[in-house]
Amino acid sequence: MFHRPSTLTEALELKSRLKDKGVFLAGGTDLVVGVAKGRLAVEHWIDLSGVPGLSYVREEREELAIGPLATHAMLERSAFAPALAQAARTVGGPAIRNRGTIAGNLGTASPAGDVSVALLALDATLTLVRSQGSRAVPIRDFFVGPGKTRIAPDEMIQEVRIRRPADSAFLKLGKRQSVAIALVSAAAVRQSDGRVAIALGSVAPVPLRAAQTEAHLAIAGLAPDAIREAAGLVSAEVKPIDDHRASADYRRALSGVLVRRLLEQLAAASSNHESAAPV
Amino acid sequence: MIGSTPEATGQAERSWTLSFTVNGQRHELAIHPERTLLEVLREDLHLTGTKGACLEGECGSCIVLVDGVPQNSCLILAPQMEGREVVTIEGLADGTVLDPVQRAFVDNGAVQCGFCTPGVVLSTKALLATNPHPTYDEVRRGLEGNICRCTGYMKVLGAAMAAASAEGPGVADASPEDRPRP
Ligand SMILES: Cc1cc2nc3c(=O)[nH]c(=O)nc-3n(C[C@H](O)[C@H](O)[C@H](O)COP(=O)(O)OP(=O)(O)OC[C@H]3O[C@@H](n4cnc5c(N)ncnc54)[C@H](O)[C@@H]3O)c2cc1C
Ligand code: FES
Ligand code: FES
Repeated sequence: MFHRPSTLTEALELKSRLKDKGVFLAGGTDLVVGVAKGRLAVEHWIDLSGVPGLSYVREEREELAIGPLATHAMLERSAFAPALAQAARTVGGPAIRNRGTIAGNLGTASPAGDVSVALLALDATLTLVRSQGSRAVPIRDFFVGPGKTRIAPDEMIQEVRIRRPADSAFLKLGKRQSVAIALVSAAAVRQSDGRVAIALGSVAPVPLRAAQTEAHLAIAGLAPDAIREAAGLVSAEVKPIDDHRASADYRRALSGVLVRRLLEQLAAASSNHESAAPV
Repeated sequence: MIGSTPEATGQAERSWTLSFTVNGQRHELAIHPERTLLEVLREDLHLTGTKGACLEGECGSCIVLVDGVPQNSCLILAPQMEGREVVTIEGLADGTVLDPVQRAFVDNGAVQCGFCTPGVVLSTKALLATNPHPTYDEVRRGLEGNICRCTGYMKVLGAAMAAASAEGPGVADASPEDRPRP
């Protein structure tokens, strides 16, 4: 059955009636492929394309509010948090970025979800809504396993919010430059209080925060020695597997290289910033 | 249904009414709601210029413009196009006058088997609409979602660059020999 609600209320009522049998359809870049390839069967589609007001990227002072149907193309154009724009920029090709959405990337919960990795480093807050009300979930608690999240069977992602970072960056290495799933991806964020957050993709069953490496940086800062040590730590901290794309060892090595490059970028930007400041 | 032939589904359950615009013309169609835009364009509207190859978003041969931006029609369920404006490769030429992008592809020998060409031309068209004077690198990035098995891309990229510098309207297709070669 295909349902095309024209209001949010109607969409949520359908979902609370159908529960797991009802599947929200956003851009369809994961769902339609899954069905076409026979990996998944959908009993009830709940298409969100007829619900107005779900596609926005809005700066509200020091926060960015993102609607669930905001596309990668829209995220790519936002200068609010470079890591988010850079991550969105690496998703598929332009036509995929014009369809794929932020909520779809989170909902798919792939360990390789590029935008999900950037949002994890940015400590995004997700608003999950159902007919009876809404709740805020920190992204750290959101991913449970490949394809598994904390969204209840009657809930949908209503909004994603991030705070403005002092600086941030994202890097990904795939088998080629374009339309390639990440062998490893990584995002680093320097918050305004100086704290550095690091998240990686394709190195664990879910997008991973590198907590030990972050703890090291909190003490050691971004001096060249500290960055070298962080690269070593992150290689030990990730939990990749061997698959047809790359070996676990290669992914460990890559994790260290990407994190080192990201931290060097953040360090260079912050020292430029300091030397540019009036004395 | 997604990926299956109209015979397989019998299109029996044409339970959905879709109203949308294709190449400037309004259509109201009775369809099975789980058909893709690609299937509806080709099988219901007989617009077979749009090609299907991978059916998983990887190759770009099914790209059409939806409200002016390129999207993979193999990933769109047709009911999602309610009220939208779709442009397919058939919508570019004005009678026998080719669109400047099509003209540039012909003139630059950028077409071999032609299977990827509709998607590549529409991606180029969309790129030039937002960025009329792209750099070579911007053209490469604009076409990164289009795979071509034949040309090795150099002619394609050359044609797209030529289209960007082409000025004025398309030229009548009647006697392409008369056209100056770049
Ligand atoms: C050729 C190709 C290349 C790709 N390359 C990349 C890449 O490089 N990096 C990358 O990260 N991804 C990539 N993807 C995957 C995909 O494009 C993204 O994950 C995309 O963000 C999914 O969004 P969507 O709107 O298309 O989701 P859909 O397919 O519509 O939905 C995906 C899942 O999210 C759920 N969902 C959607 N909206 C909501 C909501 N509001 N609330 C709750 N659940 C919701 C759906 O029910 C479904 O389970 C690629 C896909 C293709 C086809
Ligand atoms: S057929 Fe749609 S991208 Fe290949
Ligand atoms: S010309 Fe044959 S695929 Fe491009």
